[in-house]
Amino acid sequence: MIVRLAFRLAQMLFVILAVVTIAFFVLRIAAGDPARLVNPPGTPEEIITQTRRRLGTDQPLLGQYVTFLGNLIRGDLGTTFRGSLPVRDAVLAALPNTLALAGLAVLAAAGIALVLGALAAWRPNGSLDRTVLGYSALAQATPAFWLGLVLVMFFSLELRWFPAIDMTGPRSFVLPVVTLAVTLSPILVRTVRQSFIETQGEDFFRAARARGLGEVRLFTVHALKMASLPVITLIGLQLGFLLAGAVVVEAIFNWPGIGKLILDALGSRDFPMIQGGVLVAAIAFVVLNFVVDLLYRLLDPRVRVGAS
Amino acid sequence: MRSRRVRGAVGWLAAIALVLAACGDDDEEPQGEADPDAEAEPSGSVRFLIAENFWADWSPYASTAQSQRRLERQIYDFLVDFPSGDPAQPEPMLATDWRQVDDLTWEFDLREGVQFHDGSPLTAEDVEASIELGSGFSGESAYSLTWIPADVEVVDELTVRISTEQPFAPMLVELGQIPILSADFIAEPQDMPNGTGPFRLVDDQVEVKAMEANTDYWRDPPRIQELVWEFIGDPSTRMSALLDGSAQAIDRVPPEQLPALEDQEGVELVSATGIESVNLWVRPGRLPLWDENINFRRAVNWSIDRQPLVDSLVLGNSLAATSYLPTNTLFSAPQEPGYTFDPEMAAQELEAAGEPDGGPEFELWVAEGFLPRGPEVVQAIVAQMEEVGLRPQVVTSDVAGMIDDIFSDTGTGAMYHLSWSSNGDPNAAAQVYSEQFAWYFGDEDLQALIDQGMTTLDPEAREQVYADLQQHIWEQAWHVPLYNSDFTIAHTSDLAGVVVQPDFRTDFYTAELTE
Repeated sequence: MIVRLAFRLAQMLFVILAVVTIAFFVLRIAAGDPARLVNPPGTPEEIITQTRRRLGTDQPLLGQYVTFLGNLIRGDLGTTFRGSLPVRDAVLAALPNTLALAGLAVLAAAGIALVLGALAAWRPNGSLDRTVLGYSALAQATPAFWLGLVLVMFFSLELRWFPAIDMTGPRSFVLPVVTLAVTLSPILVRTVRQSFIETQGEDFFRAARARGLGEVRLFTVHALKMASLPVITLIGLQLGFLLAGAVVVEAIFNWPGIGKLILDALGSRDFPMIQGGVLVAAIAFVVLNFVVDLLYRLLDPRVRVGAS
Repeated sequence: MRSRRVRGAVGWLAAIALVLAACGDDDEEPQGEADPDAEAEPSGSVRFLIAENFWADWSPYASTAQSQRRLERQIYDFLVDFPSGDPAQPEPMLATDWRQVDDLTWEFDLREGVQFHDGSPLTAEDVEASIELGSGFSGESAYSLTWIPADVEVVDELTVRISTEQPFAPMLVELGQIPILSADFIAEPQDMPNGTGPFRLVDDQVEVKAMEANTDYWRDPPRIQELVWEFIGDPSTRMSALLDGSAQAIDRVPPEQLPALEDQEGVELVSATGIESVNLWVRPGRLPLWDENINFRRAVNWSIDRQPLVDSLVLGNSLAATSYLPTNTLFSAPQEPGYTFDPEMAAQELEAAGEPDGGPEFELWVAEGFLPRGPEVVQAIVAQMEEVGLRPQVVTSDVAGMIDDIFSDTGTGAMYHLSWSSNGDPNAAAQVYSEQFAWYFGDEDLQALIDQGMTTLDPEAREQVYADLQQHIWEQAWHVPLYNSDFTIAHTSDLAGVVVQPDFRTDFYTAELTE
């Protein structure tokens, strides 16, 4: 068990290191010269050189990487190209905001999926099933940025129910969470629906039905636990999609999270901020995947027994 | 008996009257007369959402990024100011008076009693250190591109003399661009700026700059207590914030949002024609036919109808370019011929160029999310170019990618949809075509005119130099002038007094919240 955990930890560290290394080199090779961006075209070369010195981009590439790794081990993520401010402070302040947004979106999407999936599976191919599948198709085809803007226009600007931007309190979570949850829900709905349908064919379910249990109890007690297992797996698989969706949602709602941080830094070629954001996102991704794996083992005794 | 009751009643009434008089407001002013010495305390908070990211730190004169310079105007002061926006009308700021001693020397009297935000007094040494560094005399400066390096002599604690090796015609305008820093800060820059301006920076985040009113300002303190500038790149998000009340002012309203905001209750627009030349800039050496053949250059200029770009795409107060010096620039004048979409003229020029089939393919780069409607403008231009037989290939990038291609040894772009903003003086507008910059084609006559314009002091003679310069560069057609930008700020109706000028200056010193 301990050996397995240690191996898993080593795996996670390797993935994180690989991600930040790739990000480091790709940025410096393909993303151009940040010193040129800060100064107007035609700025004297002496100023450009001075800027490169200030940004640290005048050093050889490998030297920059070694410096970066050395600082990383000490927990120093460097200073931004924009304003020479500590990257670590910025990313650590942003991370909880993204986790809160994503976490609530996952819960909301899971809730939507379980309810709609169960309703759809109750009478497969019936009108309710077709309605739910229609919702799933529509939600899948709807871009997050469009949905977010429409929600803002209607609920913020027209009805004044929720704020249009910023993270200002509980009400400010509603529109961003709904936007993210709706875009995440289609695949969960279809999976839950399928899972419920399959469960209805299981012996234990048919036996329970034969004993005269009501439909509601059948679905909520006997089928739910089985049907919800794939949701957990899917959430783990959709984490990357979730983080990507969070970038779009954070931009629309000016949400102070990692996604917006990275997006703005990309446009400015702020290498240290991009690296810091990618590092934190990578850590969050591998840790959450690990948690999902653990959760799955906890919920499904067959996995625990099989493993042992 | 009756007389005693009357006397008693009168006595009670008198006593009541006395009590009532004693309870009156001690501070009550005579009606119609306010205390003229009373200063309103700064109050309220204004959030301004800016469209361009904050690029720079507070290293002195290390960046000319527009967002940085606009921000610095809230925190720093200058020797002279141009509150009217007219480069020919300087007004005192940190200098109270000035005189030109000779062709090479100016003398300035400094304002007494001015303090930096840290409480230290402004002295001539601070002005000396600022101007010498900013002009490029004592070190490298990003501001020095439009200067002749200036040597500053401290005459006394409140008097300086500024000298240049050659006559420097735009001295006053350029002094209105160099913020005055403390000599100590220049010697040892700190993380937070230390200016003499109406606002002091109290919180410096990557994308949020929070300022508070400087209550020790040498003029009346600003009327806003808290001023927050925040970068939000997405224009829709900025607009939502304004309509939602989360922000009181937003920057660079995109053209497509102007009609909606014009009709919006509670929102006002402030617009100007920006002193900004939006051109198709041609990179020397990338398209040999362009470098060598004036007829080909003129053919390209005859292939674009600028007015519809302005009327239908860019909108607002944008104006079709009629000169290489933008409108609102001193001495700018419309040039002839007025280039428009004329396939016959384009065909004639292509024939004269020996390229009746339109010439070679070339890459025309445009950045998304940079200039308003950039990709749409370029698509319209390309359609017109193709109609006369030219063969542009559009490359869409972000601004960083485009900058990289311009300067890369392996860059493939020939033309770039870009802008150059200046301060209203023709020297600042013309320098971009000089040998200092990447857009110079080795035109020595043009360089001579640029140098002459910078060093000619007599206004009439200077005007003639710039008339010749504009005519020369128009005839040579080294680049393709398109239009001068619209510059529009939107703000809530309860925010009054925001100053917006064509050089993109956005001042909140006189702003106040009226509700």
